[in-house]
Amino acid sequence: MTTRRDFLRRTTVGAAAVGVLGVPAFGAAQGAPTRTPVKLTFWTWENPQQRPWLKKRIDQYTQQYPNVSVEFQYFAFSDLGKKVSVGYATGTAPDGYTTGDWLMPTWLTRKLIVPLDVQQLGYASLDAFRDDHAPAFVAGAIHEGKAYGYPLWFYGVLNHVNTKQFKEVGLDPVKDEPKTWEQLGEVAKRLTVKDGSKFTRQGFKWAMHASQWTAFQFNPILLQAGGQWFDKDGKCTVNNEAGVRAMTIRASMTKQYGAEDPADSLATAPVPWMDWLKERAAMFSAPPIGPQAIKPINPAMEAEGYYKAYLMPGVSDDKRYSTCYGFNCVINVHASKEKQDVLHHMYRFIMSDLLDCWKATAPLTLARKSGWTDYPEVKSTPNIQAILRAKDTGVFLPRTPVWSELADAMHRAVQKVTLANGDIKTALNEAAAEVDRATAELKKG
Amino acid sequence: MAFVLPALLFFVFFKYGPMGWAFWLSFTSYDMLSPPRLVGLANFAGLAGDPVFLQSLQNTLVYIVASTTLVTLVALLLALAVTTRVPGARVCMGGIFLTNVMPIIAVCLVWRFLLHPHGLVNQLLAPFGAGRIDWLTSDTTAMPAIVMVTVWRFAPYFMVVFVAALAAIPAEYYEAAAIDGTRGLNRFRYITLPLLLPQLFFVIVVAALLSARLFLMPYIITGGGPGGATRVLSMLIYETGFSYLKMGRAAAISVVLFGIVLALTLVQMKLFMRDEEA
Repeated sequence: MTTRRDFLRRTTVGAAAVGVLGVPAFGAAQGAPTRTPVKLTFWTWENPQQRPWLKKRIDQYTQQYPNVSVEFQYFAFSDLGKKVSVGYATGTAPDGYTTGDWLMPTWLTRKLIVPLDVQQLGYASLDAFRDDHAPAFVAGAIHEGKAYGYPLWFYGVLNHVNTKQFKEVGLDPVKDEPKTWEQLGEVAKRLTVKDGSKFTRQGFKWAMHASQWTAFQFNPILLQAGGQWFDKDGKCTVNNEAGVRAMTIRASMTKQYGAEDPADSLATAPVPWMDWLKERAAMFSAPPIGPQAIKPINPAMEAEGYYKAYLMPGVSDDKRYSTCYGFNCVINVHASKEKQDVLHHMYRFIMSDLLDCWKATAPLTLARKSGWTDYPEVKSTPNIQAILRAKDTGVFLPRTPVWSELADAMHRAVQKVTLANGDIKTALNEAAAEVDRATAELKKG
Repeated sequence: MAFVLPALLFFVFFKYGPMGWAFWLSFTSYDMLSPPRLVGLANFAGLAGDPVFLQSLQNTLVYIVASTTLVTLVALLLALAVTTRVPGARVCMGGIFLTNVMPIIAVCLVWRFLLHPHGLVNQLLAPFGAGRIDWLTSDTTAMPAIVMVTVWRFAPYFMVVFVAALAAIPAEYYEAAAIDGTRGLNRFRYITLPLLLPQLFFVIVVAALLSARLFLMPYIITGGGPGGATRVLSMLIYETGFSYLKMGRAAAISVVLFGIVLALTLVQMKLFMRDEEA
């Protein structure tokens, strides 16, 4: 329930945001774009926090504007892109949908989504829109001088640690924060507990369950090592010297420090951080994990608060950045003009109560800069400084229409190196060749 | 004509129509998002030089041969076992067949945990001196593990076919053979096996067809890993079509898979017909 205090605070923050930054608020002044009945279809991905909140906001919208009805559907995170593709192929794609920003090139290269009217979204200009969002993210939402995605959440990857286990081995959770990959390896080694050849506790855990996770965990190491995914001609360069160095770092947790067993995991697509939550791994890198995600699986960890999030390590202390990624609302190019207008209106409505969004989905950070970070509810969130910094300093995933092929190829390369003890250079050569073949085929059309 | 029309329509719209369309798509470049464009044999030529496809093709052939052989063999052994006069053998048949009625998704998930490095399978093997086996994450054991799950799942199904066939063999044959002094393995070799041949060929053909279409087991249990060691053609078709949006190429792979299945069936039919004629 919204209290009078909440209302006053939101009004003040909203007014300040509008006044100072020229960014959107949604009030009674925003009348319905149409009074005729409009039936929309809207698809999103499943997440225990984000999906129910989106549904709630859409329900509130349709209550406020009863001439608009929305057929709301959601799919597993990894399936949404495939469902949308099939939808386009069969003429059943939704009028509006949410999409991971790494898939924006897929839709943009095929001209499947419409440019958004930033003024309808409440911004005075494209520059105002750009200035109001994290730079790494907005670069993916804007294409050839037009905004195509209306950003929702956007977050950076953090190193989540179990502070109880830190203390057990004589580490100080504050002073002993690992800031470089070498330090991470040494700390992980101390945290590792083995019973013969069996790991009772892994010092650090990399996700091995899905190719997208492999790619977004490898991405910052590659960039920190001085590498790039592609050269200026579009050739995949992950197999160069920097790539080998990055893969060596990636594999060091297993090969050099003996702090991880890559074959031993309870991770699943819905809960990739299960090993950490079950205290079978002392550290795990993931987007912000909050009390809502911890409590159902490890109530003691949540109640006693023995967890902490650090920025990810870097090859040096000044290169501590991780991958950041997020989600956009977009509009199908086949949606009628009337539907497009209503979707603009609805998207603006959805993201007009950022405090409510934060309360429901914290600590998953929002893409927007203004209008939410000053709330006490945000400031008092555990680890908020690291969470915000990871978002603000993070690096974007490679923006390429062959993203899926790239992620799958890297996933196989990591498996060959860490599980089959394969040669790093050979594995990366194979991955790069696979990506280059995909790029060549795309160019051929 | 009116009598067969519903069946005819079903085949046209849901079987041969889509098959024909897939065949046509294999000569096009089609990303599902823009109209198909004819590219001739380019998709097939591309496959010939694609190591990922060649690895998946090899995996598929290995899987078909291994699982068909083992499924047939284990099914036959199970059938012989449950048709003995050992008390409780028939009851066991019901229990064994249960593996076939469990939901496949649940089966795959349970096997994932059973084959975990510290899972039940390794725990059961430990007293026999077996060390840790990374069933699903080693490129040498992942495919055998998938074959093992396949046998566990499908052998009981084909066991029923053999049980019915064994029951149909007249007892007089065995009585006459016994009078002539035929015992044990010779009984099986000279009476049971020849009379089971039609069912044996049926099981081999159907098991091979099922194996060629395998998708869910590697998809759920290993995700095609490690490093592509368990990725079979049906998985590659799915990835190529729906993850990479290359429907033309995916259709070309499905045509290759169709060719493999057709060849297997023709060879088996030829062998079967020759045996029938003999």
